[in-house]
Amino acid sequence: MNEIRFTLNRKETTYAGSAADRLLEVLRDSYDMKSVKCGCKEGECGACAVLIDGVLINSCCVAMGAVDGHEIMTVEGFRETEQFAALSKAFAELSAVQCGFCIPGMILAAQSVLSKNAHPTEDEVREGLSGNICRCTGYNAIVNAVLNAAKEGDGLW
Amino acid sequence: MVNGYKPATLREAVDIRSRESVIPYAGGTDLMVQNKANAVYLFLNDIDEIRQIADDSEYIRIGAAVTFTEALASDLVPQLMKEAVSKIAAPAIRNAGTFGGNIGNGSDKADSVLAGFAMDGRVRLVSAGGERVIPFDDFCVRRGVTNIKDDELIAEILLPKDKCAMPYYYHKVGGRNALAISRVALAGVYDVQDGVISYISLTVIGEGKFTRYRDVEAELIGKTVEEVQAHIDDYVRLFIDRMTFTRGRVSAEYRKTVIGNLIRDYLMTL
Repeated sequence: MNEIRFTLNRKETTYAGSAADRLLEVLRDSYDMKSVKCGCKEGECGACAVLIDGVLINSCCVAMGAVDGHEIMTVEGFRETEQFAALSKAFAELSAVQCGFCIPGMILAAQSVLSKNAHPTEDEVREGLSGNICRCTGYNAIVNAVLNAAKEGDGLW
Repeated sequence: MVNGYKPATLREAVDIRSRESVIPYAGGTDLMVQNKANAVYLFLNDIDEIRQIADDSEYIRIGAAVTFTEALASDLVPQLMKEAVSKIAAPAIRNAGTFGGNIGNGSDKADSVLAGFAMDGRVRLVSAGGERVIPFDDFCVRRGVTNIKDDELIAEILLPKDKCAMPYYYHKVGGRNALAISRVALAGVYDVQDGVISYISLTVIGEGKFTRYRDVEAELIGKTVEEVQAHIDDYVRLFIDRMTFTRGRVSAEYRKTVIGNLIRDYLMTL
């Protein structure tokens, strides 16, 4: 590979480092995408989840060579959307955020659920968020926030 | 500096594999946990030829770079395989993890390999010199060791259609609901005609390796379900006595007990 070309938050970019570099670290250190959190580096916690071509993926388990030709979205890009506004409002109203460390991953996991199913059941939301670990909230507020966002933001997904 | 290869076709990929020391990369979910320093990856994730799910007269064919999420959305993939992969980790991992990676890394706890073993699955391997199709039994040697050659790549997983159509049993025991690695699991397919067992398979996770005790399976074929269930302890013991339990994170005694319980449950639900 001569260079790695990809789209980050709607902007085309080229990465000249190693194809074996971890997407998580490149996003944080080379592109200053600090919403992407490093929790476990083994795909267990979901704090580093991003959307690749709209699909939820843990960025700790992705090598840079694999993103060549693909579109990556982090919360820095997603926050400019109406869907983000609906999710942000619902999370705030239900106090679904405490320390906040897991929330960028949770928001993108919620977006992943709602983009496939605009009116999910509680079980479907829980399944969709099952790879995102939160130590503070006990999950119920987060699940309710996603359900509320689906209701209040009807038509956005 | 960019090290790594991203071939556009399988042909190009095997050519690189034959001349360079590279690590085949499909989903990354296992490889990146270790992410060895100076690793040179052969990125297979965008090769269309190995991203297809298809069928022919004999097999359901799952490309090596097909993800578990893609398989779950396919009408061709048999229900046993879907049930097994639906319980792998969580959505973000199932969106990336692949069938080729699951069998290629030689794990003794790979859920798709368990299901494939029970269905007499085969692996299609390609190299610059040609290809070979071998049963899962021959591909999986022991934990961490497979029969792949240095110049080969996994192209497809083949599942015989007659086995895909059979009723099945599947049960996974993990430490929690999500993100659980199988401690113990059992998969099997069977065929019962007029109360007589005409075919049965059984594979477990928990023994420390994948295997089929085909001679023990053969002892059940031709017996009536009633007869097997009337002497259930004896038939459970036939399998258990053949198994050897390596040391592991979960005690051998626990795994042996739970596997026995699952074999009993399987045979009692025929």
